[in-house]
Amino acid sequence: MAEEERKIRRGRRRPGDQRIGRMEDGSMVLQGNEACAKGAIQAGCRFFAGYPITPSTEIIELLAEEMPRAGGAFIQMEDEIGSACSIIGARWGGARAMTATSGPGFSLMQEAIGFAASTETPVVFIDVQRGGPSTGQPTLSSQQDVYQARYGSHGDYEIIALSPSSVQEMYDFTIRAFELSEKYRTPVILLSDEEVGHMREKVELRDDVVTIDDSPKDYVKSPQTDFFKGAMSTVEGQLHDEKGRRIGHIPLKSGAFVENICKKISDHADDICQVKAYCMDDADIAIIAYGSVARPAMNAVKLARGIKDDRIFPKFRLFRDLFTKGLTTARNTDYSHLKVGLIKIDTVWPCPDKLIARHAKDVKTVIVPEMNMGKYVKEIQRILPDKQVISLPKVGGDIHSPTDILDKILEEVGMDE
Amino acid sequence: MRINIRFAGAGGQGVIMASVLLAKAYGLGEDYNISQTQSYGPEARGGACKAEVVISDEEIDYMKVDDADVFVALNQVGYDKYIGTVKDDAIVLVNDTLVESERKDVYSISATEIAEKMGKPFVVNIVILGALTKILPKIHYPTVEEEIMKNFSASIAGINLEAYEKGYRYMEEKMKEKKEDN
Repeated sequence: MAEEERKIRRGRRRPGDQRIGRMEDGSMVLQGNEACAKGAIQAGCRFFAGYPITPSTEIIELLAEEMPRAGGAFIQMEDEIGSACSIIGARWGGARAMTATSGPGFSLMQEAIGFAASTETPVVFIDVQRGGPSTGQPTLSSQQDVYQARYGSHGDYEIIALSPSSVQEMYDFTIRAFELSEKYRTPVILLSDEEVGHMREKVELRDDVVTIDDSPKDYVKSPQTDFFKGAMSTVEGQLHDEKGRRIGHIPLKSGAFVENICKKISDHADDICQVKAYCMDDADIAIIAYGSVARPAMNAVKLARGIKDDRIFPKFRLFRDLFTKGLTTARNTDYSHLKVGLIKIDTVWPCPDKLIARHAKDVKTVIVPEMNMGKYVKEIQRILPDKQVISLPKVGGDIHSPTDILDKILEEVGMDE
Repeated sequence: MRINIRFAGAGGQGVIMASVLLAKAYGLGEDYNISQTQSYGPEARGGACKAEVVISDEEIDYMKVDDADVFVALNQVGYDKYIGTVKDDAIVLVNDTLVESERKDVYSISATEIAEKMGKPFVVNIVILGALTKILPKIHYPTVEEEIMKNFSASIAGINLEAYEKGYRYMEEKMKEKKEDN
């Protein structure tokens, strides 16, 4: 055994890489939260402030190791209020910055999110949702913060929120969150959940340098400068002009400012919004899902269409013959003619109205499974007023199983027994 | 093609660690698609804990396990809780120091006893992982061994490798005996 130990010592990696193996083609097995941290470093994030909270702690743990190595700064703050405020300060100082938290901490950050929206500060907030309200269910999943992400802070503002449903998307969307935040000079929220944050899957990491355009934009009406890059300006929470001077007492100018911070996002919705459509060409029933629920929804679509049923495994006695025996069609596929499709929403805010309306124009029924009491379904009802839109809520911490969704589909077509 | 594997036990027994090592061994060593998820309570030790690994040669859409093809129980509470959601023809592996099973055709290993004899009761999960590696298809001894080396610091990797080998050899012997009986 001593020889084994020596072997390990010789080949021992740096502490940060130790728990992560990497294949020759670059793919790794990572947890969603670890992928998020890697994505942030890749996107050029060089300041992280946070306060650990389950289920987002792994982001903080990994960045505590990797941020100093990348030449950035990591601070564990006294609470979430301090974390959120310090990343805004860091961004004005010139560093790309983010913080990570879960529901209870996200509530505390709302004031700072409004401040970032008003000062047009490009920062990234990661919310790994857990069951609520209040302290709720620390180790279980939910999608109950979807409205808090949109309407959490006071006043009129628009927000961008992305919702990943796999570890790969957690990585890609973190990078995209930084891109969007710099492009529109606005806070961006990555609305993950415990299921995705704690899941381990294979990820392909990017080796290229992510170039993010942080040049001044003409649709931004706040000062566009970094303090340590040569210029001075005021950062002002009150409504202000391009030089940071208060305009709150002038209704005309103030109105234009508020309109502008909303319109710079809503007018560019075509550029920001992304959805993925599966099997929607001939679908009569559409499932609209976001985040981790899109995964069982995808499986339910396949079950309903009889495309394949990878949940069925061949009967076996000797387990080691498992892979050599043929697949038995164990499931009765008498409903495999059902025309069901999936619209997976990548960008929950701004709501992708046009894309959803286009993909769902020919369907009769829409089912919206969510891990909350039915929130986003109201947006879908607004977008598709002439369709039958059915909510499929689930609370308590468990994700929908494919059969939950399939049962609802069968109920709608009158095939439930 | 897909295998659903579920581990159940108490928090602190290393349920999640065993599942992570298995997932990495399949995903990186044998190049399958994997998805590993877990569910546990807020306490650091004690309380019910389960971990799930899905292995597939296709893209994995649903990442959780509803009906398990393989079920590994480290304690009685976990066994009682999830034995009902196991397929009829599933492989069931139990830690028979702590689990009593009425089911026929159960693979069993006295993992806690083996770990305690080694003087390191915390390696119980790795003993089980060794036995599981012997039983499972399309996974090889050195792949899991490598993951153990990569995932533990030098000071405890040795004892874990020893535990892994003990578990593997135990199951090897047991399967050989069974074969001779037949």
